[in-house]
Amino acid sequence: MTDDREPTAPNETGDEPGAERFDRYLDALLGGTRPSPDDVGNRDEAEMAHVAAEMAAAADPAGGAPDPAFVNQLRRKVRDADRGIATVTEPLPIRPVTPETPIGRVRVTRRQVLQTGLGAAAGVAAGVLGTSLLRGEPTPRDPIWDDGIALVAGEGIWVPVATLAELPRGAAVSFTTPAFNGYVVNDEGEIRALSSVCTHMGCTLQYRAEWRDLRCPCHAASFNLAGELANSRAAWQATGPYRGDAQAYPIELPPLIRPAVKVKGEQVLVWTARI
Amino acid sequence: MRGDPPPQDPPATGAFEAIYDEHVVPIYRFIHARVGNRPDAEDLTAQVFMRAVEQLDTSRDRGQVTAWLYRVGQNLIADYWRALYRLPVIGTEQVAPGWEPAAPDAEPSAHGEAAQDTAAARVRSLLRSLPERYAQVLELRFLERLSVAETAARMGVSNGNAKVLQYRALRMAALLDESHD
Repeated sequence: MTDDREPTAPNETGDEPGAERFDRYLDALLGGTRPSPDDVGNRDEAEMAHVAAEMAAAADPAGGAPDPAFVNQLRRKVRDADRGIATVTEPLPIRPVTPETPIGRVRVTRRQVLQTGLGAAAGVAAGVLGTSLLRGEPTPRDPIWDDGIALVAGEGIWVPVATLAELPRGAAVSFTTPAFNGYVVNDEGEIRALSSVCTHMGCTLQYRAEWRDLRCPCHAASFNLAGELANSRAAWQATGPYRGDAQAYPIELPPLIRPAVKVKGEQVLVWTARI
Repeated sequence: MRGDPPPQDPPATGAFEAIYDEHVVPIYRFIHARVGNRPDAEDLTAQVFMRAVEQLDTSRDRGQVTAWLYRVGQNLIADYWRALYRLPVIGTEQVAPGWEPAAPDAEPSAHGEAAQDTAAARVRSLLRSLPERYAQVLELRFLERLSVAETAARMGVSNGNAKVLQYRALRMAALLDESHD
């Protein structure tokens, strides 16, 4: 043992500068939330954290048993992944694809918007916008946009994020707002805003002009300009392998959140929070 | 999904689920005993089985499957602590002194609980080897799960004092733990 301090109560001021911060680590550990590595200052404290973790586990009120809800949830995830992997090991028809042919492109419906559970928040802004679904008969004079969801309930503001000139068909312009980040895209003449948060684990999607998709750098999910997972197993089965991918994305993902967007004059605006 | 007519016989998806059902609880217990908190234990457990979906050969015999799962779990735990220690990559056995290697031939259903018992016994012996005040602060915090304020009240010291006490107690516990292994 190298600890030469007296094993008695310390003085009132305390002389361990790390004690306060390290207590946050313990509080999280003992409170059942994820302890932050930032609260561990050095190697000594890492060793303390290690001992603390083992002690916390040994004295776990649940006896170290998993939450049944977690077990069930993971079983579903594993089952989905297992099926996805099983599918891509089968031979799939190869068909020529071009970037101009969106794969697995499905219009996002009002029902799907409501399914996201944000339908209520969509109330004010999206309600007055209505839906302008004029695909196939685009008239140059009329701005066309997809309604999306007013993510900011109550006090919000329309902010310009791009101009129509920056958004020819198939283009995307990234934007940053105080409440969320995303892309505005021109999907076959329809202006749409898409959140850049991957619906798998929250990584930031990147636009790939050559594929006209939003690609996740973490696990290679690709979302088309409608916000739908484009390289899913179902899409592979329907239309063949996704461009450039060795295998289908193994699980289904919810579509991207579509923030409310509108076109006013030449400006493309999204509804977001006031700073 | 059963309604989808697959072009060929799909691989036996049921086989993997059977492996999952048999191992998920002991693997979780194994991991939880070593990381000590639920969110991280759940993350690492999920990683073990998601990796297994991709890489595990389910046709191997049961003992090999079990050993594979524990080995992956142990590697993930090593990575977890290695990140906290901020050490360069070195051998697993050097990273975290004091944890016993997975026994792949152990009965899987008993493995996790056995690990829990072993860990509990180790904690008890560790507490016994600490000075009284140190053992007391750790007992109140870890075994009785009292807050710092409650611990301070029970011990008749200030909150700041209780934090410093638990800090020193853990420091000494870490040193003892290491010197025992």
